[in-house]
Amino acid sequence: MSFFGFDTNLPRDRGHSTNAPGFGHHDAFAGLGGGEDGDAIDFEETYDGLGDQLDETDDAFNDDTFGGPTTQQGVGKDFDFAGETSKIAGTIHEEQMLFQARQPPSQQKPSIPYASKPTRSGYENYNNPDYIPQLEARADIWGLKPKQSAAAAKQPEFEAELQPLPQQSAGAPAKKMMSLEEVEAMMRGQPVQEAPTPMIPQALPQSFGQQPVPYPQQVPHGQPQYPGMPGQFAPHILQRPQQPHLQGHPSRQQPIHAELPAQPVQAQQAQHPTILQRQRQQQPAASQPQRQIPQQAQNQRPPSQPRQILQNPNRLSGHGQPMMQQAHPGPRGSFPGHARGPSFPGMVITHPEQLMALSKEEREAYLEEDAKRAKRNHKIFELSKDNGLMTPQDKNFITRIQLQQLMSATGNLDEKSLEAQIAEDFYYQVFSSIRGAPRQNPHQPANQFAQTYLFQTNSRFGPRRHGRGGDNHMQRMEQQVQRAVEAAKAKPKGKQLVIEGSLGKISFSNSKTPRPLLNLKRPETGDKIKQNKSLVADRKDTLRNIEAVYMTLMHLEDHDRTRPPTITEGSQPEAIQAHMEWRTKTEALRKKLWQDIKIMEPINPQSTTPHPFISILSFAKGKKAIQRIFAHIDEQERITVVTMIVVHLDQLPVVSHAVATQDEPLSASMREEVELFLATVIPPLFAHISESPLNIIIGLLGLVLDRTNMHVVARSKVGMSLLTILISRAELLKQSAPKIDSADWEHWTELYNRLFDVVEPVLPVIFPGNVNDTDDMYVWQFLASMGVGASPEQQQRLVLGVKDRVMETVTVSKALPAEMAGARLANVNLFMRAIGLDVELLG
Amino acid sequence: MLFFSFFKTLVDHEITVELKNEVCIRGTLKSVDQYLNIKLDNAEATDELRWPHLCSTRDMFIRGSVVRYVHLPSGAVDTALLEDATRREAEAAKGKAK
Repeated sequence: MSFFGFDTNLPRDRGHSTNAPGFGHHDAFAGLGGGEDGDAIDFEETYDGLGDQLDETDDAFNDDTFGGPTTQQGVGKDFDFAGETSKIAGTIHEEQMLFQARQPPSQQKPSIPYASKPTRSGYENYNNPDYIPQLEARADIWGLKPKQSAAAAKQPEFEAELQPLPQQSAGAPAKKMMSLEEVEAMMRGQPVQEAPTPMIPQALPQSFGQQPVPYPQQVPHGQPQYPGMPGQFAPHILQRPQQPHLQGHPSRQQPIHAELPAQPVQAQQAQHPTILQRQRQQQPAASQPQRQIPQQAQNQRPPSQPRQILQNPNRLSGHGQPMMQQAHPGPRGSFPGHARGPSFPGMVITHPEQLMALSKEEREAYLEEDAKRAKRNHKIFELSKDNGLMTPQDKNFITRIQLQQLMSATGNLDEKSLEAQIAEDFYYQVFSSIRGAPRQNPHQPANQFAQTYLFQTNSRFGPRRHGRGGDNHMQRMEQQVQRAVEAAKAKPKGKQLVIEGSLGKISFSNSKTPRPLLNLKRPETGDKIKQNKSLVADRKDTLRNIEAVYMTLMHLEDHDRTRPPTITEGSQPEAIQAHMEWRTKTEALRKKLWQDIKIMEPINPQSTTPHPFISILSFAKGKKAIQRIFAHIDEQERITVVTMIVVHLDQLPVVSHAVATQDEPLSASMREEVELFLATVIPPLFAHISESPLNIIIGLLGLVLDRTNMHVVARSKVGMSLLTILISRAELLKQSAPKIDSADWEHWTELYNRLFDVVEPVLPVIFPGNVNDTDDMYVWQFLASMGVGASPEQQQRLVLGVKDRVMETVTVSKALPAEMAGARLANVNLFMRAIGLDVELLG
Repeated sequence: MLFFSFFKTLVDHEITVELKNEVCIRGTLKSVDQYLNIKLDNAEATDELRWPHLCSTRDMFIRGSVVRYVHLPSGAVDTALLEDATRREAEAAKGKAK
């Protein structure tokens, strides 16, 4: 294609180069173009138009067909020979070492004894009186310019043979990271180094000669300059047995490494017998980001401490740290790295001569600035000394443990139903459903914490925080969390540990039970030993009975919650089956409840101890249970309960001990008991009686009259209330359905007369306390209900019995404020109207 | 977890916390965790003359382990429910011990 008709094809474009091997000098195709009239090849003529025929409509599906812009995972590893090889690089390396070890020792073998190396402690250096630990601050870690030249000047060569491999692995990134400026600064600094470190003058040319870019890692190529001081560079835990060999042939180092192209990663790793290595082997694919990070760090460190590449300096020995700290007194001003100090306002000083040339003030300012920098660097170092103490794997490991803890504490995700929540958090759940949760969602899953964590992990992808390799890292975290969850699920629920011979079990603490519990084992046999029939034992038995009742009640209520949907004609057989099972269990629980309340125990009138059921009623919590029990028992059983209470009416503490007299009002606690009984036991009784037919009422009243001490019953609030309920129910029945069997009515009238006769003597004393006692409404109610059913003659007797009280009350109420007076007179009027009178008439 | 469960229902109620060092602080319960650490708002020492150093502190975080008593607003406690919850807890503990 040519605009001007030139032959724009360069010779190299006309097909293959004539120099290309295999084609010789003759270009078979070059002649084709020029063969025809010598014209340039016209694109339009030669173009066959095939491109136009391409069907590009479905290009979007190319990815589906061919595998798409593959993710890293998508690419098969089948042909990753280098990668495969690198996996066994360790073996290759070993083989190599073995081979080398078997070679006859080189003549040039330096004085570093091969055999002694593995047993080094790292402190051998100090045996040498001349040993001066390397004085070096690690400002380079922090982005200040690495003092590579200083380091190189000090002791590069010894490390060289000892650490040939890191240099390789680190080579590529290291080169990239050197900016021109840095290289220049370093070059400039190079000659200066010789002054402060005269000990090793000849090191520099050598190291530079071998390594054009003398970055710390790469410096290590040189001769053993000080074969007499081998211990000086002792912390070579990482060194390799092949070193003696290499030392003998420093110039051969590169070729040797070139033989192992895929080695760097694994080789480097093999040098560090740490946790890192172990974990990396488990997850070779994931080791990428971790490897890079250490390398970066590695790149910026002086060669004297190669073992810090992957390890914290403080981890191995106390070696690295003192070295660095001692560095500060050194002649820092001459370090080119420091010349880059950001805060010195003056000129950049790279040579000591420059410093000398400065004025005194400037020099002082400079030195001061420098001291500050040194101080700051020291501080940074102090803060950073634990950096890298935990590798990413370590952190992941800890996270996994924590998550597992969390998971095992919250239990399985799937199981985490409402039921489990209620079991764990009963009070709160129920309370908030009763009173309305203020702010929190009561059905908020308890493991929301973990869920949130998972979720956030998912969405946290992005080029933040974790820098490079972050995605990979987060992916792995996610996997880990998932694995942790699964592991926690699979884990048997061993929440306790029993140690032989210990008194109890040790529960593991978790987020739910922060404090380890020591659960004592209860001796099974000790439970049922009956003590003497003392009062204490009775009390305990009763309390135990009540607790049993409550447990059964709670089971019943729990069971009610799981009631399956009511079955219809079209129900599935499974649903019917479930319903039947539920019914069966309900029945069983009801039966158990019935046994628990001990109501069917035989009544023994001669017994000194009250009936077990009545004992239950003598406790506050027993009283409170009645209402709940009534909800679960059927009609017949309710009648039984009512009968039982009525029969033992005078044995109830709230009746027998609640007879107040004029002089001796009830104690506060007894009054409380009575009120509680009225609030808890009477309502269900009342509800039941107010629906009962006359014959039941007759039967009940008969029982009261026959079996109980009416004088006690009629003088107690509870007894009187119950009598009121019975009588008023009978009256209601009489008025609403007068056509009931006359025999029943006769029976009733007879009973009523008996009751009247029994009650009449105590009428003057049925009022609790004196006339100023306002709590007498129930008495007036009782009198009113008596009065309604009374014959005129009986009414007369009633009025006579309570006349004094009526008059007194009327008198007292005149002195009272209008409101209270009205209430009291209304009470009196309740009775007065029942017998056809009114308080007004008295006024 | 009963106490935790219970204290959660007292959030936004005024409570008085008595610490093991006798300090007595009244405030609105803002939150509580499973260690029974307590966060109070509008907190004030009940006896400011005795603990004047608490005068200026309005919001407090109290570590659960230093609490001796928590005075409850009785109106905010459902006793029957609490009894049942206690029974459940006791039963669960019994089940665990065996």
